[in-house]
Amino acid sequence: MTERRSPLFIVTVILLYVFLLAPIVIIVLAAFNSGEYLRFPPEGLSVRWFVKFAQSGPFVRAFWFSLQLAAATTLISTLLGGTAAFYVIRHAGRLRDALRLLVVSPLQLPAILTGIALLIFFYGTGIGTRGMRALLFGHTLVSLPYVFLTISTVLIGFDKSLEEAARSLGAGPFTTFRRVTLPLIKGGVISGALFAFITSFDQFPISLLLVSVGNTTLPLQLFDYLRFSFDPTAAAVSTISVLMSVGIVVLIHKLVGLESIAWGGPR
Amino acid sequence: MRRHWLILPVLLFLVVFLIIPYVNMVRMSFLVKPQGVPYINVFTLGNYAKVLSDGFYWAILRNTFWYAILTTAITLVMGYPLAYAIARAPNRRRPLLLMLLIAPLLVGVVVRSYGWLILLGRVGLVNEMLRYFRRGEVALMYNELGMIIGLVHVFMPFMALSIAGALQTISPDVERAARSLGASPWKAFWRVTWPLSLPGVFAGMLLVFVLSVSSYVIPILLGGNNVLVIPMLVVQLLLDAYNWPVGSALAMVFFGLTALLLWVYVKIMNRSLRWSVR
Repeated sequence: MTERRSPLFIVTVILLYVFLLAPIVIIVLAAFNSGEYLRFPPEGLSVRWFVKFAQSGPFVRAFWFSLQLAAATTLISTLLGGTAAFYVIRHAGRLRDALRLLVVSPLQLPAILTGIALLIFFYGTGIGTRGMRALLFGHTLVSLPYVFLTISTVLIGFDKSLEEAARSLGAGPFTTFRRVTLPLIKGGVISGALFAFITSFDQFPISLLLVSVGNTTLPLQLFDYLRFSFDPTAAAVSTISVLMSVGIVVLIHKLVGLESIAWGGPR
Repeated sequence: MRRHWLILPVLLFLVVFLIIPYVNMVRMSFLVKPQGVPYINVFTLGNYAKVLSDGFYWAILRNTFWYAILTTAITLVMGYPLAYAIARAPNRRRPLLLMLLIAPLLVGVVVRSYGWLILLGRVGLVNEMLRYFRRGEVALMYNELGMIIGLVHVFMPFMALSIAGALQTISPDVERAARSLGASPWKAFWRVTWPLSLPGVFAGMLLVFVLSVSSYVIPILLGGNNVLVIPMLVVQLLLDAYNWPVGSALAMVFFGLTALLLWVYVKIMNRSLRWSVR
């Protein structure tokens, strides 16, 4: 049962959504606009900025580097976050709250502060920031909490009697995990992985501090570019990034439902 | 069956890449910075003395907190109706509303700032339209206004999600009961729903304040050279001046003050929550 809302309230909500979506929609429009600037009235459709992006060395290199970095981050943070979620939800006992707080803490600490701490640490220990290593550790640190929270959410709603049934029918712990548990929590694991991927792909403050000469990520490249020019090549790059984010939101919704992620997680 | 080995990889990772670096940063803020090298292992309180005695840092500090408070207040006013609409939407429409709120959250901060540049820049769409209608142009970007617009845009979804989370645990029947007892819709909201949603409001304010006080990208891209906040100064000290000890000390003072402020805030809010329940 729903009540009628006042027209004023409905208009307010629509305007708020317009505010929220306007800068994102405008990027897509600018990317497909044929002119150098978005003019009023608009000038016509074109894909020339996408072609220019594909021909631009720095952007393409940064794009591939970001993809590789995000893929590696996803793999490691899903393994680490997944095992942590299993332990904290199923086995932690009295330490449960303390451990949860620790694993989620990178989310609460300001990313820029974490980046500074890691920068000083990497130089001090001689690990350095050469190559992808430093970025990989930094990105994994901030992606880990998302994986942990998402997988925890599905584990809390998990019916343990299914595992007990498999065990009583003679399956070993590993077979039970592979054939019963994993298929049932698959949606949560994939959603967590998707969160990790997009967190890494969009990461800015940590990357800024840990990036090394020669390897720049896409957000950093975009940032440098925007400080000096407004050429819509940047809009084409951004559009690809927007489409990725939208695709991931839709996927996560299909897999576990956005509502369970938005307020069903362990608090 | 206790499988303690499951937690070991994460613990190891967090100790090495979170706890040790943070402890190390605290140590760094007490070290001497000579000419030519980043630091030497000699203890000093000089970095803190330098940061605390500099009026310039205090002025920027005040500005940074002021921007964050302003952002928090505006996101609350804008985020509440949004949260209410989502939490009270019919079941079949809620996923779409939620999706439109979360999708911008997953779009990178640089990309979103760029969207605002296209809209509000000097040759942006809004100014183009003003020129088309012969109205001259207005400075919407590269000032405090532009930065606040960007900050509000980026952090409003966090506020709305936090409030919606609290609102959806409140049964709409409670408000209906107030209405059936003769309260006007407005009164039913302020006397029943609003107090019950306060935990979500306080949590959202806390989150948005922490996020906006430490934001770096938006002040640079949308504030241009006309806005200065502490995170910008810290990054400058570290990356441009290679002054790690003073940079660390400034970061410690800044986030120490932030933590203190939040501690006071949580104390006050807990007390007022207890009052509102009575």
